[in-house]
Amino acid sequence: MAEDDRPVTNLTLKSSEFRKGREAGWRALENLIGRLERRGVRDLSVEELQSLPLLYRSAVSSLSVARSIALDRNLLRYLEDLALRGFLAVYGPRIRLGRGLLGFFTQLFPRAVRQGGWHILIATLALLTGFVAGFLLVGLDESWFTTLVPSGMAGGRGPGSTRAELMQGELFAPWPGAAAAFGIFASFLFSHNTLVGILCFSLGLAAGVPTLLLLVYQGLILGAFLALHMHRGLGVAFLGWISIHGVTELTAIMLCGAAGLMIGGAILFPGRHGRVDNAAIRGRFAAQIAVGAIFMFLVAGILEGGFRQLIASTPWRFAVGGTTGALWLAYFLGAGRRARL
Amino acid sequence: MAKYRDASEFLEGKRSGLRQITSPEGVVLPVELASYGERAAAYLIDMAIWLGITLLTGLIAALILRGPALIYVLLIMVFTAVLIRNLYFIGFELAWQGATPGKRVLGLRVVDRRGGPLQPGAVVARNLTREIEIYMPLGLMLTPFSGPGVWGRLAILAWLAIFLLLPLFTHYRLRGGDLIAGTMVIALPKRVLLGDLVEAKLRYRFSEPQLAAYGAFELQVLEELLRARDTADSRRLRREVCEKICRKIGWTTPVPDGETMLFLRDFYTAERAYLEREQLFGKPRADKHHAEAG
Repeated sequence: MAEDDRPVTNLTLKSSEFRKGREAGWRALENLIGRLERRGVRDLSVEELQSLPLLYRSAVSSLSVARSIALDRNLLRYLEDLALRGFLAVYGPRIRLGRGLLGFFTQLFPRAVRQGGWHILIATLALLTGFVAGFLLVGLDESWFTTLVPSGMAGGRGPGSTRAELMQGELFAPWPGAAAAFGIFASFLFSHNTLVGILCFSLGLAAGVPTLLLLVYQGLILGAFLALHMHRGLGVAFLGWISIHGVTELTAIMLCGAAGLMIGGAILFPGRHGRVDNAAIRGRFAAQIAVGAIFMFLVAGILEGGFRQLIASTPWRFAVGGTTGALWLAYFLGAGRRARL
Repeated sequence: MAKYRDASEFLEGKRSGLRQITSPEGVVLPVELASYGERAAAYLIDMAIWLGITLLTGLIAALILRGPALIYVLLIMVFTAVLIRNLYFIGFELAWQGATPGKRVLGLRVVDRRGGPLQPGAVVARNLTREIEIYMPLGLMLTPFSGPGVWGRLAILAWLAIFLLLPLFTHYRLRGGDLIAGTMVIALPKRVLLGDLVEAKLRYRFSEPQLAAYGAFELQVLEELLRARDTADSRRLRREVCEKICRKIGWTTPVPDGETMLFLRDFYTAERAYLEREQLFGKPRADKHHAEAG
């Protein structure tokens, strides 16, 4: 630039001085975050990891100061982005998949279930009500069976079935072998009960009424089946047959229903929060219950496909059903009592 | 009155996806929500990877089993597909702090809606919910044997549509899983820190009444102009702005053509020094309408 003989004034800006003093720290943080984002935690040394939160806090305080003293738009936006990326780096989860899932099943799921005491009670009552009604209706008049149970589910069973048919075709049908058993297991994925469970949960969004109706209906079908078998002297055998996977499956349906009722309740009675906020707060527990219940359906699918026909004795079936029930109860009451997460 | 809220809105357009979170330190940070298209693209990338892995496991299973066991291979694939997609999403979002490979490509992140730390439970919940939102209905829809009837299929279609379009109708662009897990998906910006435009030594001097003609809005628009690349266009624009400023503040000595940049930078420095001082004294000036507004 050409020499200039005009007088020169010196001007120091607080914001410029501030920037000169802090810029090195920001650059260091930017470098650390960049490496963390690209190559992961292991790229940083222990000292660098220790300095990360310190640099982040100083960047956040820089942002607060800059907002009050600086009008440099580029600087402000840079600091906002740096603080946000630092926030994600410092507060983001850094957990292996295994630990995350372990945490869910040992802590979050059983805890969420314990949160839902009343809802579970109501869901159970709804199921029981349906069960008693179905049992009484079909017990009095078997023609109700065809009305209550859709033909797809009845699978040929009905008022016309004989004792022998039910014995050989259903309760004590021979084990079909690994292939078909695995087939049933796979078809669990789209199975009726899983769908019912998921519907129970999601219909909670409609204030919970459809959830209750669905639960009552499930009970109704079960009661109808029991009455049908009772009339042929197979009541106990039927209960044993269904208990193997039914204990797990019905518990899961009940939990899904309870989760749906939680969401319905949160929408009906929002309390101090707005309805959407409250649904999110309660919904977190409800979703954890529903998600855990999906895995219970998976367990039920394995039991149904693998073991139901393999174990051909009613006492043993009750033993398996009772054991699974006791295990679930112990799990829900005991797991995750000590806070760790 | 001013048409724009601030210089950023004027320069970058109104951003409908702008939201705020409050960090645990109590500082409000602006975040930009990921757009529907970005999220769809990220999801498609992840699904392509998932499909690849699933087909690979099927291929390996087929090679190991060989022979007439096609049905086994299919069954193994159906089962592993479910396992893989859940472990994939949850695993990556936990390990990569809220990003899957697809999200990473598009620069998206999952964050807590209230600005707290992203809980592992939330990650698990938001991803497993996808089973309910998409895979279950899709699986039912595609069941070849004893599938749902026409009305059933219509109901499933409606279900799918509701969940797929949900992000378009919620304030935070939430998917069903986000709604329940208390999360949202944001686009991660990466802005670089450019040099300070402040000049240490000023050739031009401006008086206080001259500087009082403008506010922060004009200052920051000027900043953008000074940072623009040096092209014929920007040179012309700078010249125009320079003349406009001269007229506005009553600068009578003509500024030579070669000194446009020098004049503007000096003016920027003086103006910023003045405005920052005023702001520090509790008299912030938003824009040139400041005086009228009183």
